[in-house]
Amino acid sequence: MKGRNIIAASALGALVAAGCGSSGGGTTAGGGSKACKASIGIEAPITGPVAVLGQEQLHFAQLALSLDNKQNKTKITLVQGDTQLDPKQATTATQQLTSNANVLAVVGPAGSQEVEAVGPLFARATMAFISGSATNVTLTQGKYPTFFRVVSNDHVQGMNDANYIVNNLHPKAVMIVDDQEVYSTGLVGFMTPILKAAGIKVDHQSVSQKLTDFSSLVAKVTPATSVVILPWQVAANAQQFGRNLAQQHKKAVIFGTDGLFSPDAFKIPGSYVSAFGPDITAIPADASLVTAAKKYGSFGTFGPPIFAATHVIDQAIASVCKAGQTPSRSNVLAAIKNTNESTSILGQPISFDSHGDNAHGKFFLFKINSAGKYELIPG
Amino acid sequence: MGFFFQELVNGIVVGALYSLIALGFSMVYGVLKLLNFAHGDLYMVGAFAGYFVIQWFGGSKALTIPVPLLLVIMFVLAAALTGGLGVAIERFAYRPLRNAPRIAPLITAIGISFFLENAALLLFGGQFRIYNTSDFIPFSSGFQIGSVSVDAVQIMVVVLGIALMIALQQLVVRTKLGKQMRAVAADREAAEMLGINVNFTIAATFFLGSALAGVAGVMAGLLFNQVTNTIGFLAGLKAFTAAVVGGIGSLPGAMLGGLLIGMAESFITGYVSSTFTNLLVFGLLIAVMLVRPSGLLGQVQLQKV
Repeated sequence: MKGRNIIAASALGALVAAGCGSSGGGTTAGGGSKACKASIGIEAPITGPVAVLGQEQLHFAQLALSLDNKQNKTKITLVQGDTQLDPKQATTATQQLTSNANVLAVVGPAGSQEVEAVGPLFARATMAFISGSATNVTLTQGKYPTFFRVVSNDHVQGMNDANYIVNNLHPKAVMIVDDQEVYSTGLVGFMTPILKAAGIKVDHQSVSQKLTDFSSLVAKVTPATSVVILPWQVAANAQQFGRNLAQQHKKAVIFGTDGLFSPDAFKIPGSYVSAFGPDITAIPADASLVTAAKKYGSFGTFGPPIFAATHVIDQAIASVCKAGQTPSRSNVLAAIKNTNESTSILGQPISFDSHGDNAHGKFFLFKINSAGKYELIPG
Repeated sequence: MGFFFQELVNGIVVGALYSLIALGFSMVYGVLKLLNFAHGDLYMVGAFAGYFVIQWFGGSKALTIPVPLLLVIMFVLAAALTGGLGVAIERFAYRPLRNAPRIAPLITAIGISFFLENAALLLFGGQFRIYNTSDFIPFSSGFQIGSVSVDAVQIMVVVLGIALMIALQQLVVRTKLGKQMRAVAADREAAEMLGINVNFTIAATFFLGSALAGVAGVMAGLLFNQVTNTIGFLAGLKAFTAAVVGGIGSLPGAMLGGLLIGMAESFITGYVSSTFTNLLVFGLLIAVMLVRPSGLLGQVQLQKV
């Protein structure tokens, strides 16, 4: 029995050593002459209720990878993990990616609640993961040492949005409806005190993301309520909310965030949408990327940050190879920490502070005109 | 007062929808004693059928046929498709297990539910499909009394829902097929000995119940605008609850249960808070079940020992 244990322990030791070898750092035999091969993962809601956002993220990751491989002469491949914006699914996808020794870093996941679920798993695997849309403030307070994001956080967005509402829309009363997800309740938490401090009456409501009928809730919108704030991730739900408002002849304006930036699904005229990403079709330097991305169909603000995140990882892997080392999770993580891009697809620089926040992140505000088109509000 | 009546209208509309789905659930349970968890997914298939009918006839903004004709085609096609699908499910998934322990068809029902949900994902993708009902049935086509607004779609849902419920009730009470259904529900073996074609009766029950789910799916698409492969789960859960509260197996009970849940949701959202809607609705339902374990209109089953 004892002998069998020793054999088992030896086998386990060999396996661990092999695992470490594949993910640990090292120097390539031929310096930079060896082909720079690696895999990166993407965690996105490729299917499920917000698949439209996940598909956009996947397409922009694929686009970034193909351009970077050509530019850097690398052979980086993409491994997909479908999260359906569900922390449980994200955990499963993360376990699959972290157990794949070829995967050195991950783009995503999309939601803050997913990051909360997978952060410890990535930390244990010493594996960098860069989200293009997880904006909860607590994610970058040191809990997850391998987490980064290329966009700003909810604190900045909540403050900007609430101040814009107070100073420009001048409501006497607002209704604010969270969708019971970490992202949504977090934003409500930042916006409510600012609105209340300005003397605005705030009616806080909460609905499940799966709800599709808002007629009962809309009946509560009083004539004094001129703004309804929807920090939601499902644009089709906000469209239905807007439809219920029109059905009951209510005049309140919808003010949405991030997930509502979907010109195909949310097009209530007069509504506002604040987003962590810009409309890259309005950035002249991005013209060639916009043309390249059009083969995937229409897109919003969720794809470009993922392009930026993928590019950061691609550049980190390329820099490791250029230094004559074999890319590993640890040296790619170190290279990502040192990222310093003077410009990006987002029209702003990217570098990370010690907790993984983009030091240059900002938010963008759009208004939907009578034709259903999103117009950027300057400032 | 206007607010009260607005919430009443909202509750009745949603309740009519729940009732219609619950009817099919209750019918199948009455005849087979099977909790058909795939029922909500047939509702989803019906909603997709309605969406594709709109697309076939030019899309919501450029319809090539009159709106009443479009609605008739949507409802008839969805009912036929889901009815046929229901019969196929019964034939190939449930009938082979008719004499198996009850847990086997129950697990199969859950499996069918996942199968339909994922088949829809594969066929139609994960994104929302939008009906854009107001493009072809404008809100102005309804009426407004004081602050209470009722649009044409809401009126249609309630009227059609009530008509279907009455028709179904009459079918069960007055027709030969209805008598056969009641006989099979009471005692399947005795019904067979009396010469009733049990397989046909069960298939007909599945057709009718599934067709009602398909009609409810189109109604939901017209009311709520959005269709995706996952909408059946919550609808099925609400319908199941409605059927149980009303007294599972009882058709008037299913109608009452659906209306009760719809109105409870509406009034709790309106007068308490949307945050606690599900908590309070299900709390209320638990209270009902504690007082009347067989449901509001259900009958206590006596068992000879």
